[in-house]
Amino acid sequence: MARIQEIVREFEGADQQEMINLLIDYSEDLPEIPQRLAGHVDRDLHRVHECETPVFIWVEVADGRVSIFADVPEPFPTVKGLVSILISAVDGLTPGEIESAPADFISRLGLAQRLGIRRVRGLSAVYARIKSEVRKHGAVT
Amino acid sequence: MADYANPDVLVTTDWVEEHIDDPDIVIVESDEDILLYEIGHIRNSVKFDWQTELQDQLVRDYVSRESFEALLSEKGISNDHAVVFYGDRSNWWACYAFWTFKILGHEKCLIMDGGRQKWVDEGRELVKEVPQRPRTDYKVSAVDESIRAFRDDVLEHMNSHKPLVDVRSPKEYSGELLHMEAYPQEGALRGGHIPGAVNVPWATAANEDGTFRSADELVEIYEKGQGLTKDRDVIAYCRIGERSSHTWFVLTYLLGFENVRNYDGSWTEWGNLVRAPIEK
Repeated sequence: MARIQEIVREFEGADQQEMINLLIDYSEDLPEIPQRLAGHVDRDLHRVHECETPVFIWVEVADGRVSIFADVPEPFPTVKGLVSILISAVDGLTPGEIESAPADFISRLGLAQRLGIRRVRGLSAVYARIKSEVRKHGAVT
Repeated sequence: MADYANPDVLVTTDWVEEHIDDPDIVIVESDEDILLYEIGHIRNSVKFDWQTELQDQLVRDYVSRESFEALLSEKGISNDHAVVFYGDRSNWWACYAFWTFKILGHEKCLIMDGGRQKWVDEGRELVKEVPQRPRTDYKVSAVDESIRAFRDDVLEHMNSHKPLVDVRSPKEYSGELLHMEAYPQEGALRGGHIPGAVNVPWATAANEDGTFRSADELVEIYEKGQGLTKDRDVIAYCRIGERSSHTWFVLTYLLGFENVRNYDGSWTEWGNLVRAPIEK
């Protein structure tokens, strides 16, 4: 959970330009999805339909840790950056930690106020999707 | 082959490249994606954000005359500059910015045909450097709201059986979808369209590469296909007024319709308005 606090602190008080710069860094840091997922036959099942831009999420649980992979096609760097923030916040946590991760994490980043609400609404859906996928893995006790 | 009614309002990517250092023009990038300009833009272009700069942050409206003057002065645009707009998504937001600039009385506005995608696809130069433009003292001479429709105007227009163009997707028009496909966050409580409106999705006016269709094709689509005529008042709408500003631009400048208004309240207003008549 320390990583979530760290991200909130990073965004707290950032003005619009600082937020844009942070988002660019995050969009560049989003890891490529592994080759085995790239040509996934069930790709459409992994699409987060609430997002205006195509966003695909894979959630895996191994050895008690959650790994999350995301694919956001070009040219949508803002969405890529937003998804990358989420992944950076929760990737590698245990299923229980993700389950209890704060519900208001996204609103605490202040993105809607700086970037305009229309751009960030879909992000809550990605967050909800990650949480529900983790639950589906049945690993939360 | 017929030409556009106002061919001078469109410029090509070649033209823009030749005029990058022209002191009489300012190139403006207006995108849906707020990071694209920072990732790389046409050299000497300045960024305008439709959501955080051109719209008021409190009231659902575009910025006030005073805020617009302050914004343009700060960005180094003077009343005499010709402003060339370009952007992502086939110039939706470039057309929206163009429309807003026109309401606030800016005289010389141009659109780069094909927008950002065409520039990128042609492998032209993108830079990260933000130009340092000297401050100006911009003054709005007159606000022109004759190109904007409000809900009461739309109601009156509808009651007089004047033409309305719904530029949303067929499923939004029919009411099957309450929002644009894949844009669920901008919904309305009711689905359908304004009674009497014809459905011409905005993209009908665009080629694959984002450029506008030829004059002949546009005549075929809007005049022959839908029976719209240049002398009749037309109101275009979509969901929030961005796609319909694309159609507003096409009807006004490319086809030369005399009186076209963009209803920026669009379906997110109409579809939520108590007792507003709806047809499915």
